Amino acid sequence: MIRVDNLSYTYGNGVQALRNITAVFPREHIFAIMGRSGSGKTTLLNCIARFLRPQQGAVFWEKTNILDLDEKRFRSILGVVFQRLNLFPHLTVLGNMTLAPRRLRGCSRQSAEAEALEMLDRLGIAELAESYPAQISGGQAQRVAIARGLMLKPKVMLLDEPTSALDARTTSEFAQWLRELKSATSFIVVTHDLSFAGETARNGMFMVGGRIRECGRMEDIFKHVKKEAGTYD
Amino acid sequence: MRSGFILLISAAWGIIGCSPPAAGAGRELVTALTGKFPPFSYYDRQGKLAGFDVDVSREIARRLHRKSKLIATEWDGILAGLLAKKYDAIIGSMAITPERCKRVNFSIPYYNSGAQLFVRRDNPGRIYSLDECAGCRIAVVLGETYQRFLEKNYPDIKVVTFKSTVEIFEMLEQKRISGFVTDKLVGCWQIKQTKRPFVPVGGMLYTERIGIPVRKERVELLKQINRAVSAMRADGTMKKIYRRYFGTDVSSVRQSGEMTFAVKAGKLLKGFAVTLMIAFSSILIGFLLAVPAGVLLMHAGGIWLIPNLAVRWFVDVIRGTPVLIQLLFVWLGLGFRPFSAAIVTLGICAMAYMAEAVRSGLLSVDPGQNLAAKALGLPAVDRFRFVIWPQAFRVMLPPLMNSVVALIKDTALVSVISIPELIREAQSIISVTFEPRIYYLIAALLFFIVTFPLMKLSGKIERNIKARGFQYDQG
Repeated sequence: MIRVDNLSYTYGNGVQALRNITAVFPREHIFAIMGRSGSGKTTLLNCIARFLRPQQGAVFWEKTNILDLDEKRFRSILGVVFQRLNLFPHLTVLGNMTLAPRRLRGCSRQSAEAEALEMLDRLGIAELAESYPAQISGGQAQRVAIARGLMLKPKVMLLDEPTSALDARTTSEFAQWLRELKSATSFIVVTHDLSFAGETARNGMFMVGGRIRECGRMEDIFKHVKKEAGTYD
Repeated sequence: MRSGFILLISAAWGIIGCSPPAAGAGRELVTALTGKFPPFSYYDRQGKLAGFDVDVSREIARRLHRKSKLIATEWDGILAGLLAKKYDAIIGSMAITPERCKRVNFSIPYYNSGAQLFVRRDNPGRIYSLDECAGCRIAVVLGETYQRFLEKNYPDIKVVTFKSTVEIFEMLEQKRISGFVTDKLVGCWQIKQTKRPFVPVGGMLYTERIGIPVRKERVELLKQINRAVSAMRADGTMKKIYRRYFGTDVSSVRQSGEMTFAVKAGKLLKGFAVTLMIAFSSILIGFLLAVPAGVLLMHAGGIWLIPNLAVRWFVDVIRGTPVLIQLLFVWLGLGFRPFSAAIVTLGICAMAYMAEAVRSGLLSVDPGQNLAAKALGLPAVDRFRFVIWPQAFRVMLPPLMNSVVALIKDTALVSVISIPELIREAQSIISVTFEPRIYYLIAALLFFIVTFPLMKLSGKIERNIKARGFQYDQG
């Protein structure tokens, strides 16, 4: 369980992106963080992933401040898939997936590859194993990036704007795929796409101007948001 | 017989004031000559040094009860090399001049010679003495005393300088100069050897006394050499050696113009091997240094600032100065041996160029790659080794290949610091065969054999990278 306690973050240029955020992310399959561009959702993700250090407040895993965890332990708890995915272009899909297990857990090449193939099979993308990132489509790349993160069996995985480069049809295919994905890992999805969030998550939060506006069941959030903004698409 | 204008260079090295280990402190008498000045010094049929100066050197060493060791080096740096303690003395037909006497001490003369004007036998310019040469192009070898003599006494003559008489003969053959001034004995001998249609005209311009220079502090050595030279004159040894090369007794004159094919091929291949050895050692050193240098060049902040600036300035200085000067500086200024000087200089030079390629290669990798690797928990060393470097290397390969090709060609410069590489071996063959076209062509061909596949490879890699669609995927 991830808990965020009174978190504030201000960028070097004076923009305050997060204002006293306090929230609990329950352990469930998919949780959505929604908001317009500039609402602070990506900053929140970067604080949780330890890429940014908040000036005030803290992020806790169970009862431990995440800054007190050593790197190896922390990365085994939390995985991240970036908006731009950042697959390694010089490695095949299999190479992308096996690099971290081999280097961090000392797996042999054979066992790491067997594990990766099993994972790809489970995610329904086994045919991509020998392809290079430049040879696969955007939707496939999104799945490969998630598969790469899942290889380390994290407890929680953050997905930053997973649909930003996908067309409407691919988005809904991806939403279905993510919903049906059988994994012990919980996903926190950061997105501005409300319909995608509605298709995948049961609970979520809506951010405005660095604060949490609504938090709870998706139906309730949508009701409030629509009443307030009306035109949000 | 050759001038003191190199004293300028010598003085420069003197100011730098280095003290490399003294040469010839042991049982060897180390003497320098050019090996390109027949019949005084040249390479014989077996590819060994021979000539009047060589025989004199050996005889003097024998009389001093020391082993003779000869170093063949370029004329325009020969005096600087003596001052930098690269050898004990120069026995290479050096004229005694007041300028040179300020820097070194000369032995008593071991022979006298004189300057002579030579022109084509058909004499299209109707030139019969230097007085009729106003406006004409008259050639001399760079660094010889004739250059100053002509400029001082015949200001109307256009004096042109060349590296050796080989080039001068070609120029006169092609009528691109009107004539040339050189030592009378040497000139006549070379013309006869090469069967060129050139003749001496007018009288000797002046007589020169030829001596053996040693450094000022080597007083004892100078005494010993003087004693040996006097004795050789008195007992007829000097005359005997002289006759061997200039005497009327034809049977005793050694023919130098006919190196066998095997000797020529051997010299060229040996030179080629030396060229390759120097090129590839420097490339290896350069690349190993370029990787950390390139990484440093990327980091300009915090604790990296000072090392970054140091590397930045160093790279700029190396890239902004001629390699030739760097070579001479390391050889004469810092007192390195020729081979170490060549490998160190070219290695550092390669580093400077390759570091830029490494830097831009590393910069070409999307910062997101590092972030993604970090998110997977990979430590910094692994991130560099498995994620950043393999991507950067493909991008930096083409510019690295260009540096490699440039460096291989730059090895031609090390001939000036007396390394017997391909160009120098070719020149030593040309100095007796007088066939610059053939041997420079062969040397160029040998270079091309190495550089051509490298250039092709570079192009192929570049196409492969493009074909692989090496761009960053935007999921």
